[in-house]
Amino acid sequence: MAAAAVQGGRSGGSGGCSGAGGASNCGTGSGRSGLLDKWKIDDKPVKIDKWDGSAVKNSFDDSAKKVLLEKYKYVENFGLIDGRLTICTISCFFAIVALIWDYMHPFPESKPVLALCVISYFVMMGILTIYTSYKEKSIFLVAHRKDPTGMDPDDIWQLSSSLKRFDDKYTLKLTFISGRTKQQREAEFTKSIAKFFDHSGTLVMDAYEPEISRLHDSLAIERKIK
Amino acid sequence: MLSLDFLDDVRRMNKRQLYYQVLNFGMIVSSALMIWKGLMVITGSESPIVVVLSMEPAFHRGDLLFLTNRVEDPIRVGEIVVFRIEGREIPIVHRVLKIHEKQNGHIKFLTKGDNNAVDDRGLYKQGQHWLEKKDVVGRARGFVPYIGIVTILMNDYPKFKYAVLFLLGLFVLVHRE
Repeated sequence: MAAAAVQGGRSGGSGGCSGAGGASNCGTGSGRSGLLDKWKIDDKPVKIDKWDGSAVKNSFDDSAKKVLLEKYKYVENFGLIDGRLTICTISCFFAIVALIWDYMHPFPESKPVLALCVISYFVMMGILTIYTSYKEKSIFLVAHRKDPTGMDPDDIWQLSSSLKRFDDKYTLKLTFISGRTKQQREAEFTKSIAKFFDHSGTLVMDAYEPEISRLHDSLAIERKIK
Repeated sequence: MLSLDFLDDVRRMNKRQLYYQVLNFGMIVSSALMIWKGLMVITGSESPIVVVLSMEPAFHRGDLLFLTNRVEDPIRVGEIVVFRIEGREIPIVHRVLKIHEKQNGHIKFLTKGDNNAVDDRGLYKQGQHWLEKKDVVGRARGFVPYIGIVTILMNDYPKFKYAVLFLLGLFVLVHRE
C-alpha cells in the first residue's frame, strides 16, 4: 500500500512521508522538509478572482509552463529572467550606495556621489524598460529540449502570451527554434478565457491542456514532415 | 495551517519569482529615495520640501514648501527663509527682518514669524543674536497647500506611520504583477 501511494506520482515532494495520502499534509514529515511541503501547493487547483485580468493571465501562463515542463519534460532556461533580475539588482545597489554615502558624509560634501548615483539609477531604469520591451517582449518561458543523441544543439521552445485589459481573448504563441537548422516556426491560438475557467474561478486543466498539446504537436509534426 | 488564501500566489512562486517580488519592493523604495536625493542635488538644499508649522496668514499649518538654496543669491529683507538653529533638528520657516552686511559679503540677519509678536531672538541659541548664511537650509520658492497634514499626522502618531508602511510593504510583496 505504501509502494502504491509513492508510485501515485504526487509531484509535491513527499520526501519523508510515504504513508500519507496527500502531498500537502504530511503530519509526520521530517521537520523542515515537512513544513516546506505544507507551504508549497503545487498540486492544489489554481483558484483566482476571475475578474482580475492579471491574475487570469498569470494562471494561464503558469499552467502552460507546467504542461510544457512536466508533460514533455523540457528544461527551463532562465537566461531572460536572470537578465531582468540582474538589472533590477544593480539599480537597487546604486540606491543603497547613495543612501549609505549620504549617511556617512552629510549633504553638501556628498553632492557629486549622489548626483552620480541618481543619474545611474535612472539610466538603469531606462535600460530595464528597453530590456523588457524589446528583448523579453511577452515571453514568459524559454525551454530547451535536449537532443537525445547528445550531438546536435538543443531545440528551443518559447512561450509568449497576451491578454488585453478588460478583454476576454487570450492569445498564446508557441515558437519553435530548431537547434540544427536555426529555423523558426510559430503557432498560436486565441480563445476566450471563459472556455477554460469555471464560474468559481478555478482553471480547468482538462480543457486547457489539450490546447497546449495541440499547439505543440502541430509544430513538432511539421518538423518531421520537413 | 491557516487558510490564508491571499498567500496562495506566493506559495506557488519559485525562488526567482520570490526574489523578484522582493526586488519589486526594493525598486519602489529606491525610486522614491532617488527622486528625493535627486531633488536635493538639483535644488542644492538638504531638505528640499518642508512642512510649515505656522506663518499665518502667508502659510498655514500643513503647507508644503519647495526650497532652493543657491548660495550666490543674496538674502534680502522680506524673504522667507528656512533655517536651522544649532543643536535643534526642526527647521524653522520665518521672514527676514533686519540684515547687517559687510563689504566682503558676510551677512548677519534677524528673523521673525509673521504670526509672532516678537522677533526670534528668544528662539536662537543662548548668546546668539543673529543668524548667518550657514544656518540657512533654503529659501521658499513655491508651495502646495494642505498636503503636509499627512506628514504632520505621521510624525505625531508614529504608530500610524509604521502601520501604513507595513501594510503597503506587505501588499507589494504579496501581490503578483
